[in-house]
Amino acid sequence: MARAVVELAGCTRDYGGIRAVAGLDLVVYEGELLSLLGPSGCGKTTTLNLIAGFVLPTAGRVRIDGQDVTDRPAHQRGLGVVFQSYALFPHLSVWENVAFGLRERRTPRAEIERRVRAALALVRLDTRAEHRPAQLSGGMQQRVALARALVYEPRVLLLDEPLAALDKKLREEMRSELREIQRSVGITTIFVTHDQAEALGLSDRIAVMHGGRIEQLGAPREIYERPASRFVAEFIGASTVLRGRATGPDRVALADNVALRVLGLAGLRAGEAIELAIRPERIRLTGGAGENVMDGRVVGVVYQGVQTELTVELEGGQRLLVFVAEPAPAALAPGQTVRLHLPADAFMRLGPASEEAGR
Amino acid sequence: MRLLLTPALLVVAVFAAALSALLRYSVLEFVPGSLQAGGLTVANFTGIMSRQYLGAVWDTVLLSAATTALTLVASYPVAYVLARTPSARVRSTLLVLTLAPFFTGAIVRTYAWMLVLGNTVVTWPVPMLFTPRGVLVGLVHFSMPTMILLLAAAISHIDPLYERAAASLGASPGRVFRRVTLPLSMPGVVSGSVIVFAWTLSAFATPELLGGGRVKMIANVVRDLALDSFNWPGGAAFAVMALGVTLALLAGVGRLTTPADRGA
Amino acid sequence: MLRLAVLVLLAFMTLPTVVVVAVSFNPTAILSFPPSGLSLRWYVNVVTYPQFQRAAWNSLLVTAGAVALAMPIGTAAALGLARGRPRAASLWATLLLSPLVVPGVAAGLGFLIVGAALGLLRSRSVLIAAHVALVLPFVVRSVGVSVRNLDPTLERAAASLGATPWRVFRRVTLPLLRPGLLAALLFAVIVSLNEFVVSLFISTRLTEILPVAMFTYVVNYTDPTIAALSTLFIVGTFVIVWLADRFLDLGGVFLHHR
Repeated sequence: MARAVVELAGCTRDYGGIRAVAGLDLVVYEGELLSLLGPSGCGKTTTLNLIAGFVLPTAGRVRIDGQDVTDRPAHQRGLGVVFQSYALFPHLSVWENVAFGLRERRTPRAEIERRVRAALALVRLDTRAEHRPAQLSGGMQQRVALARALVYEPRVLLLDEPLAALDKKLREEMRSELREIQRSVGITTIFVTHDQAEALGLSDRIAVMHGGRIEQLGAPREIYERPASRFVAEFIGASTVLRGRATGPDRVALADNVALRVLGLAGLRAGEAIELAIRPERIRLTGGAGENVMDGRVVGVVYQGVQTELTVELEGGQRLLVFVAEPAPAALAPGQTVRLHLPADAFMRLGPASEEAGR
Repeated sequence: MRLLLTPALLVVAVFAAALSALLRYSVLEFVPGSLQAGGLTVANFTGIMSRQYLGAVWDTVLLSAATTALTLVASYPVAYVLARTPSARVRSTLLVLTLAPFFTGAIVRTYAWMLVLGNTVVTWPVPMLFTPRGVLVGLVHFSMPTMILLLAAAISHIDPLYERAAASLGASPGRVFRRVTLPLSMPGVVSGSVIVFAWTLSAFATPELLGGGRVKMIANVVRDLALDSFNWPGGAAFAVMALGVTLALLAGVGRLTTPADRGA
Repeated sequence: MLRLAVLVLLAFMTLPTVVVVAVSFNPTAILSFPPSGLSLRWYVNVVTYPQFQRAAWNSLLVTAGAVALAMPIGTAAALGLARGRPRAASLWATLLLSPLVVPGVAAGLGFLIVGAALGLLRSRSVLIAAHVALVLPFVVRSVGVSVRNLDPTLERAAASLGATPWRVFRRVTLPLLRPGLLAALLFAVIVSLNEFVVSLFISTRLTEILPVAMFTYVVNYTDPTIAALSTLFIVGTFVIVWLADRFLDLGGVFLHHR
């Protein structure tokens, strides 16, 4: 049974009239990398700040290793933080930056030498020890920030959108490097990001946040394949939302004669209104006939190299997003008629319409 | 925040205590021969209305207005070059030359003018030293650094692209200045003028030394009353009047400028 | 055309300085320009005149005392203003900067009245108190510029690394405030050394500072001694201002950089 390292119990944080985080419950286990994922304003950074001790909760408690640290100031929590802007001290060299936390802990000189050197080697910056932060590129600064936070072996590592300031290629490189380091050190890590590809690729578990609450918490695959709410389905990956009415335990009728067979959705009652989501990469172009096969008109074509993204309009007016892997089986152009197959087990239920209205 | 500000606020409180003592004395009766004051009275303020004192007030206003106008005209070209020059060396030189007088102190600057105006360098066709003319020259010289810096700050905020746009539309440099730069610098001109006017109203060393007793501005009257006649209440009334006018003027400017332009 | 006008104006601004320096070397007591010879007798006079010696000592004590008090008080205030909420902070800021707008004679007479009532005029304490009040706005303003450029995340980073608030201040905040602190020190010293009007009201013959002593001398004597003292002042100030511009980017303090 994995040990709980960080626990948030009923945490709420208000800023004046705005509730940034509402009644949040969260447990982070030993050694895992948990991502807080969501759009700006969802409360993920506030949650991180609550754990770090930079802000105090308006209500609720924060526990680390079972101890209540809610009233403990930031400098006594023994955590490591990597900030979005890196916050490297401009007046100190790389070496002095990394050694900072060790000096605050009154670590003996020889020990500091050893550990700083090891930390710099871990992030592959041993040759830059005497440089000032301003002389380093963004990617290097980020690594210094990481070394600085890890060198004193904190209990938890907190990362606040650390890759946001890097360009795409560097971001992907740093992503895998970060994961490697985290795994090799084995440190419990909380990672804040708005980039869902990042979260999916890095995390052991993802907490998708929206409006100050956690909408869904689970492994990446679960979040992607079984989104719990419309928000999660739309935020993670692309999808099409189809509206219809259930006509049996495994049948749904979309507008205008389109009948679907759906598998794996429990408790469909005939007559109830329903919303289904389907991932664009699950929809296939097909030539034949059969169940869940329908025709549509191509209204948009976007070539993306790896795949072509089609927007197809069905008879009833609803539009589907379809990803066709390249090279495509046929030439695709707007105005064409295509035949699509929607596999019965590819549907995700978003809850009946009334649930959405109540949100 | 509170804790960090407390010592500073204590200092301000001390300063406020001095000002409130001033206010208090301005409405107390002057007892000749004693530094203790009598009971409440408005005699000190009504005394200002007497001919000799009103004359000093009027002279002060006139001199300050003349100073402001001349200072403005003299400072604008220097301020323009300071703000617009691409050469760092020119800007440095101008800054040093402008700021240095600030730092040499009132006595040094005024004494220098005593020498120049006192027929040491040239013999002036009309008497300069100990006349209002001389005081005016000294006041303009005194006010130029302030005006130059305020104007330069205002001009440096005007995007040069506007001037470039005007030129591209066919305006000659003179027209660009008149139709674009000058109007856009108006807020700075107005606030600079008001600030110089307010400060000149309270000028002391310049009229005291260059006026030689014949040119009395409000500050000189305060000194005479307080330190020569020991009439603290009378001096206080004048000082309060100067303070009130200064505050009113500066509050008016505050309303016109953005925080970035405000001198203090 | 513009260049010519500026040169003429600059000449106007620097003419008095040139005259003073030239006159200070004049061998005779009669002021003449250009000087009829070169002599250092007035400089000797400056250094040996007892009242100037006393006044220089007073200036040193008063300025040192005022600056020693104003620097920490002003720095704390600048930090406090930056941490507070904007609207409240700007009100406090106006209050802190208010001594700048009060006419010198008003402040001077006010301090005189209070000083007399408290019987403190024999000591330099009223002088020091007044100087602190007059110098504080400059300190708050100069340090405030540096404080505004401080990245608040840096202090959070230091805290996350285990530094107590005092250690954060000492290891991160203070070093980064250095330019502002140096500028503040510069302004404070210069403003205090040259402070005249307020000091005139509250000085006695024994406590008067240098500018006041100079004023008394000028009113009573006409020899070039003051020219010599002025020259010393001018040279000293030029050097300091030039150094400050070299190392502190004075242009950035006053002008908007593009």
